[in-house]
Amino acid sequence: MKVTRRQFLKVTGATAATFAVVELGFDLNATASAIKELRTKNVTPVPTVCPYCASGCGLVVYSQTDSSGKFEKLLSIQGDPDNPINKGGACSKGAAMFNLREIYDPHNGEQVVNPKRVAKPLYRAPKSDKWEEKDWDWMLDEIAKRVKETRDASFIHKEKLEDGTEVIVNRTERIGSIGGSGLDNEECYLHSKLMRALGLVYLETQARI
Amino acid sequence: MVDLKNTDVALIMGSNAAENHPVSFRWLDRARQDRGAKIIHVDPRFTRTSAKADVYAPLRSGTDIAFLGGMIKYILENKLYHEAYVVNYTNATFLIKEGFNFDDGIFSGYDPDKRAYDVSSWDYELDAEGNPIKDMTMTHPRSVLQLLKKHYSRYDIDTVCSITGTPKNKYLQVLDTFCSTSAPDKTGTILYAMGITQHTVGSQNIRAFSIVQLLLGNMGRPGGGINALRGENNVQGATDMALLYHIIPGYITSPSTATEHKDLTAFLAKETTKGYRSNTPKWVTSLLKAWWGDSATKDNDFGYHYLPKRDSKKNYSHIAMFEAMYKGEIDGLFVMGTNPVVGGPNANKEQTALCNLKWMVQADLWLNETADFWTYQAWERAVHNDKVNIKTPADIGTEVFFLPACAVFEKEGTAAQTGRWVQFRWKGAEPVGESKADLWIVDQIATRVRKLYQGSTKPQDEPIVNLNWDYGHGHEPDIMKVALELNGYYLGDNKPVPSFAKLMDDGSTACGCWVYCGCMGLTPTGELDYKPMHRDNKDNSKHGLGLYSNWAWSWPVNRRIVYNRCSVQPDGINPWPGDEKRALIQWDASAVGDPATGKLGKWVGDDVPDFNVTLAPEEPGGKNPFIMRPEGVGCIFAAKTSMKDGPFPEHYEPWESPTTNKINNQQNNPCVKVWEPDKQGNSKDFPYVATTYRVVEHWQTGALTRNLPWLSELMPDMFVEISEELAKEKNIKNGRKVIVSTSRGDISAVACVTKRLKPMIINGEIVHMVGAIWQFGFKGFATGDIANRLTPHIGCANSMCPEYKAFLCDIRRA
Amino acid sequence: MAYMTNLYDSSKCTACRGCMIACKEWNQLPAVMEPFKGNYSTHDDTNGDTFTIIKFMEEEDPVDGIRWNFIKFNCFHCLDPACMKVCPQQAYSKTEWGATIHDPDKCIGCQYCTYACPFHIPKYRKREDKITKCTFCADRVAEGLTPACARTCPANALKFGDRAELLAEAEERVKFLRTNGFPRATIYGKLELGGLNNIYVLTDTPDKFGLPVDPHIPKQIPFWQDWVQPWLGWLIPLALAGSATSFVTTRILANKHAGHEEPGEHVERGHE
Repeated sequence: MKVTRRQFLKVTGATAATFAVVELGFDLNATASAIKELRTKNVTPVPTVCPYCASGCGLVVYSQTDSSGKFEKLLSIQGDPDNPINKGGACSKGAAMFNLREIYDPHNGEQVVNPKRVAKPLYRAPKSDKWEEKDWDWMLDEIAKRVKETRDASFIHKEKLEDGTEVIVNRTERIGSIGGSGLDNEECYLHSKLMRALGLVYLETQARI
Repeated sequence: MVDLKNTDVALIMGSNAAENHPVSFRWLDRARQDRGAKIIHVDPRFTRTSAKADVYAPLRSGTDIAFLGGMIKYILENKLYHEAYVVNYTNATFLIKEGFNFDDGIFSGYDPDKRAYDVSSWDYELDAEGNPIKDMTMTHPRSVLQLLKKHYSRYDIDTVCSITGTPKNKYLQVLDTFCSTSAPDKTGTILYAMGITQHTVGSQNIRAFSIVQLLLGNMGRPGGGINALRGENNVQGATDMALLYHIIPGYITSPSTATEHKDLTAFLAKETTKGYRSNTPKWVTSLLKAWWGDSATKDNDFGYHYLPKRDSKKNYSHIAMFEAMYKGEIDGLFVMGTNPVVGGPNANKEQTALCNLKWMVQADLWLNETADFWTYQAWERAVHNDKVNIKTPADIGTEVFFLPACAVFEKEGTAAQTGRWVQFRWKGAEPVGESKADLWIVDQIATRVRKLYQGSTKPQDEPIVNLNWDYGHGHEPDIMKVALELNGYYLGDNKPVPSFAKLMDDGSTACGCWVYCGCMGLTPTGELDYKPMHRDNKDNSKHGLGLYSNWAWSWPVNRRIVYNRCSVQPDGINPWPGDEKRALIQWDASAVGDPATGKLGKWVGDDVPDFNVTLAPEEPGGKNPFIMRPEGVGCIFAAKTSMKDGPFPEHYEPWESPTTNKINNQQNNPCVKVWEPDKQGNSKDFPYVATTYRVVEHWQTGALTRNLPWLSELMPDMFVEISEELAKEKNIKNGRKVIVSTSRGDISAVACVTKRLKPMIINGEIVHMVGAIWQFGFKGFATGDIANRLTPHIGCANSMCPEYKAFLCDIRRA
Repeated sequence: MAYMTNLYDSSKCTACRGCMIACKEWNQLPAVMEPFKGNYSTHDDTNGDTFTIIKFMEEEDPVDGIRWNFIKFNCFHCLDPACMKVCPQQAYSKTEWGATIHDPDKCIGCQYCTYACPFHIPKYRKREDKITKCTFCADRVAEGLTPACARTCPANALKFGDRAELLAEAEERVKFLRTNGFPRATIYGKLELGGLNNIYVLTDTPDKFGLPVDPHIPKQIPFWQDWVQPWLGWLIPLALAGSATSFVTTRILANKHAGHEEPGEHVERGHE
């Protein structure tokens, strides 16, 4: 049931075609040899929504792929002209989304992956002054162990209410969770479900602050 | 967002919309161009929003209720309210019980020891059948309108201006311009953001907006309303999914140890109220079925006891969590794409609190300041301060697991924007390195934790062992499976439930979040149709209101403007005089309402009616547009438990204030919880009002912008804004370094000396202001000191939203 | 064919600076870090990797109170461009729709265009030893797209289209502004230098936006265009190298000099 790019094209139907269609309603041929060829020509844009403020502006991602369709690099990310909220517009933050993944090196102008992006899971041991690269399996298993240890050691299964009756309360107060407002709905939902199943009550997102 | 183009006057208050929601100005400008609309900006600072407003009025940070209280008085005194709207659609006509009282800043029922109210006197007078008694003439001394008049009689213009520091001529201009929207053919909108909520009276600030908008007849109509401009792309969705301690998905109170929550029957009895909330049993049962599947049966209360019950006497909000962590009461913490070392209030304390954890798991794109809280760099301070306990990595025992998350366009999923439109984001690029979607990360943690509990027969492990968790077979969780669960499905055939009214309380439906019910349909060929993917961008409204109902999907049930019953007159047939084009729905007596019975009469229109579609205007409740409220009408008076600190908003000074409260003798909100009494700065040591804010070039804590070279280029350094007058007094030069201090810490920043800030006259004395960007930290391409090292651990009496926006500081040359 | 232009309306611009980033995004320009100097502008001027900037100017008067003026500053694509006249290599050309285009392949980095430009727009990019400037996104326009800055403007303050039509629109807008709180509102670019291919609606006089009220080309330029270029064009490189007093030569030599710091260079940040 995965939504592929093919499917997206089907879903978007006629509107997708408008990306490639002329915005101005006329065609101009370059006169100067200095004019480069449009680098997004014949590239299918993929719609997304801005990850910054909650206005919900749409953006489109143009990527370069090799002959087998494998992703190579970003070409451009621009406002989505079909999105009724912004109709192609993007403020400085939205227009800078390209930099979330790739940047132009100030020394030679070359396009490289943003060096601040973290490419591998990192672990910091107690009292250590450095990060160590770890593999995902190790990290996730260790995390699962910590969760179980803390939960089991601190779990409150039953408690007496004001009226003296004893009920199941199933909670731990020694694990907390913050964040999520930058995550997708589906991610927030799974996180909410998992945290509550574990018995967390210290559960907060940026809406509070 | 697009609806802003339908407004006649926009009041932007406590928001810097042009900078923090730039696209709003596309539509505000459209309103200005097409309708001659006016834009008002009320804010302590002259910002890029002020520069584009027709009227700019400054006010001292933390005095919004005084400002709006004066507006309420002005509306009532000059009979500017929209009478037909107020009489029919609000509780202005309701009588309040005898015994309700207000005296010198305190409402009836206050217990100073508990710092809380017994709210039993804040209630309607009821008739023998239990219905509120109304006086349609609104002249009864105990009618809400008369009580309102009495309450705000003290908020005269001179008093208000001496509290807020607003020049009188500017204040009058704001009153005159915004109150013009009470005309039946005019609507006015209010845009607010964190400038309103981040106060000890934050929730009451919004209540004051509600009163103004109800009096002017601006709710539930195009170009009207109160618009919270939400700051994070999916903070709406995160709230819908209840990543907050006090609710479970769909805005249902989370179970607690209160006796009324002891079992499912008691819980439902307590949480099910009149109006649409009468569906609560269906929502809760379907949620439990979604979470515990076959293990949720009628016999075990559908697994109600699997849900954690919080201590009913305890607060678990952000500040409370960090206070507990500081005391060593929390061992483990998940940090999902957030950065409290920069964004949390009293950041020195919150950073110290993280040192008391045994372990911390963080998912993010970058090593932000929170990920790196244990490094040497994290403990560098511009100024030595005995109160800040500096640590080294060797002092910090916290294990940190950093999980690289991928960027928004390297994965797929939906986000709910500020107007509740849920839009799909497709994957447009591959993740960097081994970075992964948070969906995968959460699924992996769940799967691995569940594996550790596999086979356990302990009753306390049942919530995990029995958890319904199956989102695919391979490595990638299937997003459509998650989406179907969010929407809800029938347990027999797994088909999507079409709308929340169809959910069942007998265990035959499962639904993760009822407000999302209806977001999934079936295509004609029977495939799942996830409506947030819809991209038909034709405006379906007859008069070009910009509803775009076929673009994406909005909750609930694709309704674009809530309370839209208000957009027509009480008779349901006539639009408001002169306002035909903004009527969203209408009663059609000749249409077939119920095909099964053939009953005639139905609400029709451009938008999905926010109303029982077959309930005729003349039937009981047929004129009650606020269906989520038990009263059915808008609340000018907040009865009973709605608010903790009073049924009417009352001005109290911020926790740290340069002056005494002029309107009553309660200096601060009497219901706020004081976490750190010793940290309350006074105006002798800290004479200047400080506030924090954002700029368009950065976003929140800056993690997602200071790590981008282009945005770092535009705003490369931490700066604070001060007036030319204060700069002269303190011998501070523009562009040079200064030190700002509060009782909690100090920061270094570049001074931005500007004409845009002016000293204010408050209670006859000159008060200066310092404005600090809170978006800097020690990581990224652009770095600078963390402004939240200055802010206090104190929050709104209702929401516990921290008072970032008004505190006291001192400033000097570095 | 008809000239195509950008209409910039300062009464609508919220200075979100989306245009600055969209320009960098489309034209593949790296960030140029400069410290914050007490003004939101950050950059005082365009540079080799920054083709368009927004300038911020505070104005205060007893009647209007505070005004915060924003202006988008970039190549005006003059109808009769000085850069094109003086370029010894004919690196500049005009598209048939009015963009002034610079060809880096022909450029020798002499920077005479920078000197000649009334707005000093063309800038030297050290890493390539070439001049750069706003391309009017000619590659986009050639394919029927709008320039990146006009496409991105969320506030609709920038509009790309037919120059004559936009000029008429600008005149209407100025009329409206003059009777709605901006009595000194004016058009910039209609007549200046014989016409610019960027039309501005200003809410106040050009000086309030840091623009020259009467821009002009330095006096030596006609001499260069009318005499030196037609007759001695083939001798230019030689002539430049031979004349120690020549401005251009000085610049060329200065630029070839090792360690010379250009504004386009990445500078380590920090204060004091």
